[in-house]
Formats: sequence, C-alpha cells, structure tokens
Amino acid sequence: MPAPWPEKDDHELLALVQSGSHPAFAELVQRHTARFYRLAFRYLQNKEAAEDMVQDAFLKLWEDPGKWQADRNTKFTTWFYRVVVNLCLDWQKRKRPLAINEEMPLADERESVDQTMLRDEEQRILEQEIAALPERQRTALNLCFDEGLSNQDAADAMGVNLKALQSLIMRAKTTLKERMKNYL
Amino acid sequence: MSENQDEKLDQMLRSRRIEPAHRDLAARIILKAQTVPQVQNLSLWQAVRQLFAEFHLPQPGYVLATALVLGMMLGFSTAPDNAQMSDAGSVTAQSYIASDEELL
Repeated sequence: MPAPWPEKDDHELLALVQSGSHPAFAELVQRHTARFYRLAFRYLQNKEAAEDMVQDAFLKLWEDPGKWQADRNTKFTTWFYRVVVNLCLDWQKRKRPLAINEEMPLADERESVDQTMLRDEEQRILEQEIAALPERQRTALNLCFDEGLSNQDAADAMGVNLKALQSLIMRAKTTLKERMKNYL
Repeated sequence: MSENQDEKLDQMLRSRRIEPAHRDLAARIILKAQTVPQVQNLSLWQAVRQLFAEFHLPQPGYVLATALVLGMMLGFSTAPDNAQMSDAGSVTAQSYIASDEELL
C-alpha cells in the first residue's frame, strides 16, 4: 500500500487518525512498526508474541485515539514506547517466561562454526541475564540500546529524569558484567 | 581490563539478535484496523445533537405533503363508519331515557 502522506509528521497523522482516517493510520503503522517490533522482541524474545504486542498496541491506538493527547508536549514515539513496554510487561506477568530461542538466525554467516557457536552461546546467556534483571533496569537497557532513541527520549518514555536513567543503566551493566564475566 | 569488559558488553548489547518480523506485519495491522470501530468520546452537547440528527428529515416538504394526503385518505375512509356508530349510540340512549320515563 503506498504511503499517502509521507510528508506529514506523526502529530498531524494522529490528528487525522482521531477524525477516523484509515490512510493516516496506515502511514503511521508503516512508519513505526519495525522499531516497536524490535523493542517488543527484546522483551519477549519471541517473534509471534512480539508481533502480537505491536498489533495490539496499534489497534488500541486506532480504537481509542483520544488516549493520545498532543498538548502533553511529548513525542508520539516516546509515548508509544511506553504503551508497548507496558503491554510487554503485562504479557510477561500473565505468561511464564519464554525459553530463549536457540535456533535464531545467525548474525554473521562468515564466522567459523566455533565462533558462531560461541557467539550464539554468549547471546543466549546475555538474554537470560537481561531477562533476570529488575524490571526498570531491563526497560532502561532495552530502550537505551535501541537505535534511534536518545537517552533523553528513553528517560521520557520511562517517566524518569536523565540521571535516574543513567543510574539504572549503570546498575544493569554492573550486574551483567558480574554475571557474564566468563564471556567478557 | 575493566574498560575492555565495558566495551565488549556494550558491543554485545548493541548486537543483540532480533528475529525479523513477518514482512506483512504492518499490512496485517492496517487490515485488522479496518474491521475495528473507533470509540467516540462525545460531550453531552454532541450527544444531544447526534440524537436530534437521528430524527432529521431530509425533505420535510415531501414528508408533510405525504402525511397530509395519507391523513385525509384515512379520514375519508373512516368517517361513514363513525357516523353509523354514533347513530346507533343515540338510539340506545333514547331507549334508556324512554325506559326510565316508563318507570316514573
């Protein structure tokens, strides 16, 4: 489906969505699905669940676009990160934690088998250790290491100030360094 | 050593593997939204206006003329029956009066 209004910013599109415009909603979805899927996947480590979370988040926005209030002086993406994070956390509370998928595609096919196996193991352990972090530290880590999201945006999405966010990141990384010292 | 660890950890965090989503994820969401109605948060005034709009007549002239014609047709068709009923009623009343007078 071609993007009808690629030149419009998110807030203009949201105003149109609030008046029931399907093409504006379609543009918004096409623009942001990939980045919110990445975030959801980092939380859930499951493709289907992450896709469902993103779909639920966008459908909630479509169903009741009045939830988004432009006068709050927040970027749409910052606000929507929070929506997706909350959905992911709710989902995790309802379900038991998923086993990390050990058959995920490899990042670099040129690596030797040994390197690949080692890297795969590192990634698996890293995901397990991240999943074991306290909720706020995990959220800070997931948001800050997402490309295209500044630390300030991540702090806004979490509703904390920049210093608090940096402190959460520091604590998370200290814990990870300790738990993963055999791999660093 | 610690700096190396920091760098390695940062590198690992940045290169976390993400299984790509289905290509049609966005299209699926857009399609699904077309079957979902939007919630409308109306103010009291908007709700009242919407209620009145339900009774809006697109062509009141035609509606009025049709109602008049139908009313006249119904009136003409039922008028003779009413006359008969009222005659019958008056006869009955007279018989009552007469029977009362006989008693006196």
